[in-house]
Amino acid sequence: MPVKKEKEPLIMHPRPSSIVAALYTLRDLDTDVVILHGPPGCSFKHARLLEEDGMRVVTTSLDETGFVFGGHDALVEVLEKVIERFNPRRIGIVGTCASMIIGEELHEAVTQVQPDVPVIEVDVHAGYRDNTKGVVMALESALASGIISEAEFERQKALLKEATLVEKRHGAASKEYLEPNRGDLKYKVAGRLLELIKQGKKGLNILNAKKETAFMFADINLAVAQVAQKLGYGSNIVNMVNLDDNVGLPKNRRNAREIKDDLKEKGFEIHHIIGGLDEYPVAGNTADRIIGEKYSDYDFAVISGVPHALPMNNINNMELFSVTNGPRQVVPLKEMGHTHVVVEIDLHPKTLGVSHIVESEFGATLREMVKDA
Amino acid sequence: MPKQIAIYGKGGIGKSSTASNVAAACADEGYRVTIIGCDPKSDSSITLLQGRRIPTIMDLMREGIDIKEEDIVFNGYKGVKCLEIGGPEPGIGCAGRGIIVAISLLKKISRAIEDTDLVIYDVPGDIVCGGFVAPVKKGLVNEAYVLTSGEYMPLYAANNICKGLSRLEMTLNGVICNSRGALNEEKIVSEFAKEVGSQLLAFIPKDVLVQTCERDGYSVIEKAPDSQIAAVYRKLAKSIMGKRDGKIPVPLDDARLRELTRI
Ligand SMILES: Nc1ncnc2c1ncn2[C@@H]1O[C@H](COP(=O)(O)OP(=O)(O)OP(=O)(O)O)[C@@H](O)[C@H]1O
Ligand code: SF4
Ligand SMILES: [Mg+2]
Repeated sequence: MPVKKEKEPLIMHPRPSSIVAALYTLRDLDTDVVILHGPPGCSFKHARLLEEDGMRVVTTSLDETGFVFGGHDALVEVLEKVIERFNPRRIGIVGTCASMIIGEELHEAVTQVQPDVPVIEVDVHAGYRDNTKGVVMALESALASGIISEAEFERQKALLKEATLVEKRHGAASKEYLEPNRGDLKYKVAGRLLELIKQGKKGLNILNAKKETAFMFADINLAVAQVAQKLGYGSNIVNMVNLDDNVGLPKNRRNAREIKDDLKEKGFEIHHIIGGLDEYPVAGNTADRIIGEKYSDYDFAVISGVPHALPMNNINNMELFSVTNGPRQVVPLKEMGHTHVVVEIDLHPKTLGVSHIVESEFGATLREMVKDA
Repeated sequence: MPKQIAIYGKGGIGKSSTASNVAAACADEGYRVTIIGCDPKSDSSITLLQGRRIPTIMDLMREGIDIKEEDIVFNGYKGVKCLEIGGPEPGIGCAGRGIIVAISLLKKISRAIEDTDLVIYDVPGDIVCGGFVAPVKKGLVNEAYVLTSGEYMPLYAANNICKGLSRLEMTLNGVICNSRGALNEEKIVSEFAKEVGSQLLAFIPKDVLVQTCERDGYSVIEKAPDSQIAAVYRKLAKSIMGKRDGKIPVPLDDARLRELTRI
């Protein structure tokens, strides 16, 4: 008898797209140009943002005629133009709902044009429940073209599975509908945090951020360390960061190194490395273990990035300050027991195309409030 | 590698009945046969299953079932493996996308399309949208056959299919005439086959037995094995199983097509 899978509950709020996830993955794989095979407006905002990171994104601009008559010729034309104009060393071709529904074979265009550089083809559309599907598909294709190793592929796949679970448990996929929320007032939260520091309370300062978002999230942890130092309680703060630069795709390693160098230069002492920049779904477990062993009696914790990936076991009794960039993450975090939730709105766009830490609003607020101390 | 064939032709011309009779005839000869219905109305394998309807791949997908091979492959007449892709009711959704999704799934989970001697894809009507040529595009078909009568419209459709095949750089391995009793029919279809660069493999006469057996849920091979028409299907089956190379067809222009039907 066929086994019925349990029906996945409906989720109504819009969520990250698999097509966009594939685009970001191709960027992490140092792809020079990506061709989106589909309508001109598809994934526009992210396509544009990715150019800040140096990856070109172009579109075959399928229109009504293309939907009806197919887009093979358009793809061939764009592929030829891309080779001529950008002289890329690595090309990506990414599907969209439109081209996949009408049965476009991305590979046919590649066979016809025969580029002499590797082409990563991703037969993706936006109709997958979890956007991580787009990442897996891009990685599968990269594996098939020999761009990543089997070991790296398996590692990534395991991480993505964890990431999907994290979102299901306490993230964007945890409820039928999540109300967006701007979070608590930064001024008030900063006030409370400074109060605790001034009382000589002991605190954990944890960065668990997803990839390049760490460029701004790290600024929050940096600010916490700086203000504690300034108030004379620097030694009460323990810093943990997911900035291991020996794991992950080339870009993630590079970024981890850049952020670490920046932190060091500003006198930030890293007490524990809890994982790499792509290990945010599991680095929380490492942090949890370390906290259980050494810091379970601490009074408060600041967690920036993906705070909901940190298990509550050992931080349950601490006053929690979490910083997220997702307005839809506020409610789940509060429900988990995070007392203060701060949202750094529009954080991601500001972390593209950078190689140094970017100032955060919450970090700036903290610094401003101890300016005259 | 098994012989993987698809039978194309004008809607209603007799593709499904020819496919199931050929499947049954090959099974009689001891071949392992798999038939895959690519038609949303899922009627390709009924006559191999004594009139029983099997759950379609798309039905199971819609129900959210974690599909295993045994959920979708059913043993029919003499062990012919029967699969139906299924799809939406007419006028709803996108049947072509259904075929693409189902074919990708089959490639992943099914041994039935590999551990076998003959796979027959039974496709509806003329080549419609991209989805209906998915078996060809995904490299699962290595031989194509066109079924037609000697009348103008079925030949017109057959010629269009030749256009489609040549665009896909797919070979045409033979033309089959399913008679509708037109004048000089065998000669017309035979000439058409030659001119597009192929050959006439069989002339199947119009025989009410096909319909009566079908109504009871059987192929003529099973229900009327000693009939004349059963012998014709057997001969066709032999000729399909015999090694033969195909050529990418060269479609005719419309004027020539009209002329042909006036022979
Ligand atoms: N040689 C024949 N003699 C008499 N009737 C036939 C013959 N071949 C097919 N038929 C009948 O013609 C009808 C249509 O045949 P069938 O369903 O096989 O066509 P088809 O090409 O598969 O159609 P579709 O394009 O809708 O899938 C059926 O009732 C079938 O029994
Ligand atoms: S529906 Fe799909 S193809 Fe169309 S714009 Fe949205 S993501 Fe792109
Ligand atoms: Mg049919």
